[in-house]
Amino acid sequence: MEAPPVSVMPVTGGTINMMEYLLQGSVLDQALESLLHRLRGLCDNMEPEMFADHELVYLLKGQQGNPFLLRARRSLSNPTAPWHLRYLGQPEVGDKSRHALVRNCVDVATSHSLPDFLNEMGFRMDHEFVAKGHIFRRGVLKVVVSKLSRVLVPGNTENTEPLSLSSLVELSVLAPAGQDTMSEEMRSFAEQLKPLVHLEKIDPKRHM
Amino acid sequence: MQQREEKQLEASVESLISRVAHLKNALHSFIYKLENEYELTWPSVLDNFALLSGQLNTINKLLRNEKTPSFRQQVIIPLLLSPDRDEDLAKLTEQRVPVFSHEIVPDHLRTKPDPEVEEQEKQLSAEAARIGPEVAQKQIQTLNKLCSNLLEKLSNPRDDRDADNAALRLNKQSFNPADTNALVAAVGFGKGLSKCRPPGPVAPGHPGQGNMMGGGPSLQQVTVGGGSGQLQGMGPGAPQQQPGKMPSNIKTNIKAASSMHPYNR
Repeated sequence: MEAPPVSVMPVTGGTINMMEYLLQGSVLDQALESLLHRLRGLCDNMEPEMFADHELVYLLKGQQGNPFLLRARRSLSNPTAPWHLRYLGQPEVGDKSRHALVRNCVDVATSHSLPDFLNEMGFRMDHEFVAKGHIFRRGVLKVVVSKLSRVLVPGNTENTEPLSLSSLVELSVLAPAGQDTMSEEMRSFAEQLKPLVHLEKIDPKRHM
Repeated sequence: MQQREEKQLEASVESLISRVAHLKNALHSFIYKLENEYELTWPSVLDNFALLSGQLNTINKLLRNEKTPSFRQQVIIPLLLSPDRDEDLAKLTEQRVPVFSHEIVPDHLRTKPDPEVEEQEKQLSAEAARIGPEVAQKQIQTLNKLCSNLLEKLSNPRDDRDADNAALRLNKQSFNPADTNALVAAVGFGKGLSKCRPPGPVAPGHPGQGNMMGGGPSLQQVTVGGGSGQLQGMGPGAPQQQPGKMPSNIKTNIKAASSMHPYNR
C-alpha cells in the first residue's frame, strides 16, 4: 500500500493554518421566522443560541497600499466574556469551481484591554457595528443569522440603527488548510435552505 | 399429439406448483413478520409487498406462456370422497387438508369465482354494456391521457418544475439580493459604516437630531485624553451644522486628538 499523497502542509510549529470557508446570503425580516424554524429543524438539536455582539474594525495603514485589518469583537449580552480578535486574509483565488469563499483565518481571545492595546500599537478604529441574532451548528458547519446595526455615536452601543431590512445569513466552517471537502458539504446544506435564502460565494472586493 | 399435450400439461403444472409454493412461503414469512415484530417499518412492509407482487407477476407470465396449455379445458373430477382422514394428503398439504370429503371439495375444486365476486363482476359487465361503445371509448381515452400526463410529470427532472414554481413565487420573495450585497459590503469593509457615511435608506432626521446632544459630552471625554484646548471649543459649536455632516465632524476631531501620539506612528 503506497503512502497517501501529501496534500496538507506539514505542521512545523506554532499554530495550524486555519482557513475559513464562507457562504453568505440574506433574508428579509418578514421571512426571518420561517428561516429560523427551518434552521432549527436542519441543525443540531440544541437550545437556540442568541447573541449580541459589538464588533470594532481596526486598520493599520502602513507605507504600502493595503491597510492591515483586524476585527475585535465583544459580547454585549455577556460583558465579562473575553474579547475576540480575528484576522481574515484575502480570499484565496483557487479554482473557480470551488463553491465557498476560502480565506485564511486567525482567531484569538484577548482581555478587555484590547482596544487600548490596539490603539497603542497604532491601529485606528475604522468602523464598528452591532450584530444581534442567532447561531446554529450542524456538525462542523456554523450558521449565523444576524441583524446588523449601525452605531450612531461611536462607543455608544445603546443607540443603534438597523443597517437594512434584512438579516445577514452566513454559513462558515473553520478547517485546517488543505481540506477541500468542506465546500461540497456546505453547498448541499445551502441547497436545503433554498428558496428562502440563496447562500453564495460573494467576493467582497466586487462591492468596493 | 396427445402425449405432447400431456407432457406440456404436466410440465406447466409442475412449474405452477413450484411458483405457488414460493408465493406461499413469502406470504407465510410476511404474516409471521406482521404478527411478531413490533418495530416494523413501512419500507420493509413495502419490500414484502413488492416481493409478493413480483411473484404474482411471474405466475401470470407463466400462465400466459404459449407453451402452457389452456387449463380451462381441463376438468377435475373427484373420483373418491371419503370422510376418513387421509395421512398422505395431510402430509402433502401440511395438515391443512386432512380429509378429502364432501365439505372441502366445493371450496378447493371450485372453478367459478366466489359468489360476491361473481355478483360484482355481473354488475360491472352490465354497467359496461349500458353506457355504449362511444362513451366507453371516450372514457378510455381520458384515462390514457391522464396516465400519460402523470407519467410525464413524474419523469421530468426536478429542475424544470422548480423553475415554474419560482416564477409563481416571485411576489413572495424572502430575500433581497441588493440587501445581501449591502450587508456583505458592510461586514467586509465597512461600506456604509465608516466616517464618510452615505445617507442610509432611513433618513437620519430625528434620530440624528437626538444625537447632537449626545455627541457633545462623548467628544469631551475623548479630548480630555488628548489635552488640546481648542477642540473643546468645537463641541458646542458643532450641533448647529446639518445633521448629515455631524458624525464626520466628531470623528475627525477624535482623529486629531489621537494624532498627537507619543510614539508618533
